[in-house]
Amino acid sequence: MKVNNKYKILLVEDENNISTLIMTMLESSGYQVIQARTCAMAKTLFVSYCPDLVLLDLGLPDMDGMTFLEDVRKDSLTPIIVLSARTNEKDKVLALDAGANDYVTKPFGAAELLARIRSTLRNYSHSAESGKLPGGKFTVQDLEILYDARQVFIKGKEIKLTQTEYNIVALLSEHCGKMMTYSAIIKGVWGYPDEGSVKKLQVNMANIRKKFGVKPGEATYITNELGVGYRMNSD
Amino acid sequence: MKKKRHDIWKNISVMAVVFLVASGSSIILQKTGVHEHITAIFIFAVFLTSILTDGYIYGIISALVGTLAVNYAYTYPFYALDFKFQSNLISAVVMMSIAVLTGMLTTQVKAHEAIKAESEKERMRANLLRAVSHDIRTPLTTIYGASTTLLESGDNYTEEQKKKILKGIQEDSDWLMRMVENLLSITRIDEGRIKIIKTPTVLDELIDSVMLKFHKRYPQQEVSLELPENIVVIPMDAILIEQVIFNLLENAVLHAEGMTKLVLKVFVLGKQVVFEVSDNGCGIEKERLSGIFNGSYHLFEGRTPSSDSKKHNSGIGLSVCQTIVKAHGGAITAENNPAGGAVFRFSLNVEEMNESE
Repeated sequence: MKVNNKYKILLVEDENNISTLIMTMLESSGYQVIQARTCAMAKTLFVSYCPDLVLLDLGLPDMDGMTFLEDVRKDSLTPIIVLSARTNEKDKVLALDAGANDYVTKPFGAAELLARIRSTLRNYSHSAESGKLPGGKFTVQDLEILYDARQVFIKGKEIKLTQTEYNIVALLSEHCGKMMTYSAIIKGVWGYPDEGSVKKLQVNMANIRKKFGVKPGEATYITNELGVGYRMNSD
Repeated sequence: MKKKRHDIWKNISVMAVVFLVASGSSIILQKTGVHEHITAIFIFAVFLTSILTDGYIYGIISALVGTLAVNYAYTYPFYALDFKFQSNLISAVVMMSIAVLTGMLTTQVKAHEAIKAESEKERMRANLLRAVSHDIRTPLTTIYGASTTLLESGDNYTEEQKKKILKGIQEDSDWLMRMVENLLSITRIDEGRIKIIKTPTVLDELIDSVMLKFHKRYPQQEVSLELPENIVVIPMDAILIEQVIFNLLENAVLHAEGMTKLVLKVFVLGKQVVFEVSDNGCGIEKERLSGIFNGSYHLFEGRTPSSDSKKHNSGIGLSVCQTIVKAHGGAITAENNPAGGAVFRFSLNVEEMNESE
């Protein structure tokens, strides 16, 4: 009975050593792991097992991991975390825009991977039930957002944000825990992208950080992934 | 295409200027009545043109024009072309041969220089590769040795000993990771060859991202930041510049012995942004200072015992910094602070902020 209560994770990775390592990490933390080495196998396993989360390596032998990602996203919202190398920030952006929830940069440690999985699973179940209710409130650490009043508080003190700044913070909080790419945020806040809109976004983010009283490098409420996007931290 | 046309115009104008100067001085000489040396002046002009322009054509043209000019205007019979006069014929032949020979020589020298620069680049690449491979072997030995030890005879060790061995594996793979990041940064530049892709990046976001990575790697090391109040936008390959700042900070952590304060300061100077990483540690030895960014790899190698894996990273880290900053059209310098410690500085061009926001 107990086995059925475990979260099922589909691990799509072709490197034997990495796959075994990740499996050990996950199993010792109480997850059930299903391993797939190829894209074709992953597709079959995905349908038959209905995993709660997918860990996807982008460089697979038979098909690009991106194809699998796009395929899954056609009719499923199952959270997907992508494993990728640092220098390929373009791949990360592509994967996120194609519907990946987050990514972990290779090489990674157990703690980092497990934290990402935990927060992705939590936010997935969270957002699935909450939606955006009237009188909605968002709280994480000392940060509190009252959506109806469009007010933001830190440690109970109100932070005066501009319209745009508020819209960005609210948008990130609605997708808390998910890495949002520049283009996704721009689309959500301004509606259309134009030349220099990334710059505009970065300027706003810098101001928000200052107003929140966060020193560069602290990443207290929002994590900044240069060249990729931003994530509201869920813990 | 554009460049080629530009070159042609440059060559033509060089030719014209040299020729005008020659004619001018010839007229002066003629006015003063010394016209024996006029031929010599034109020969000299032909020689100069051949050196200063590319290829043979311009030298030969100027030899032709020179011959005609000397023949027509400056030698007996004046203001008439006359090739029967023997000395005129001789000067024509002499000018022609000078133009051809000089053209040949300069072309050869230029080609030779290009080959030399290319082979120098190859040599540096080979050196780097050799040094890197050598350095990679050390941590690999630790990792391999440690893991085999644990696998084969792990039971013989106490928990504490095992932890120590594992810690060694972690440290050395960490070092390898950073080495690979640096190497990848270099290939990222080489792939492009033409130019790196710059995107306007807001300084605050860059620093935020770097500090996040740095704190993750060195949680104990505090860095005091001095940043400009205003928003500054800099066109750059942000991933690469991040690497530069990280390397400079890390370099201080690894090498500035006795450091108690590490400062990252950024300020705007005219149309440039200057990034300055300074510490109050032991400073840099004078003989290292000059070659600290390039080719210094072997110097470091010879000096530091290679068992100390912490010291490895320095050489490649700093030369990666230089490669990246140069590819951005910026400059990087290292010096000792008179008050003690080392100062590393690099500069990039700022983008003009238009107040659309």
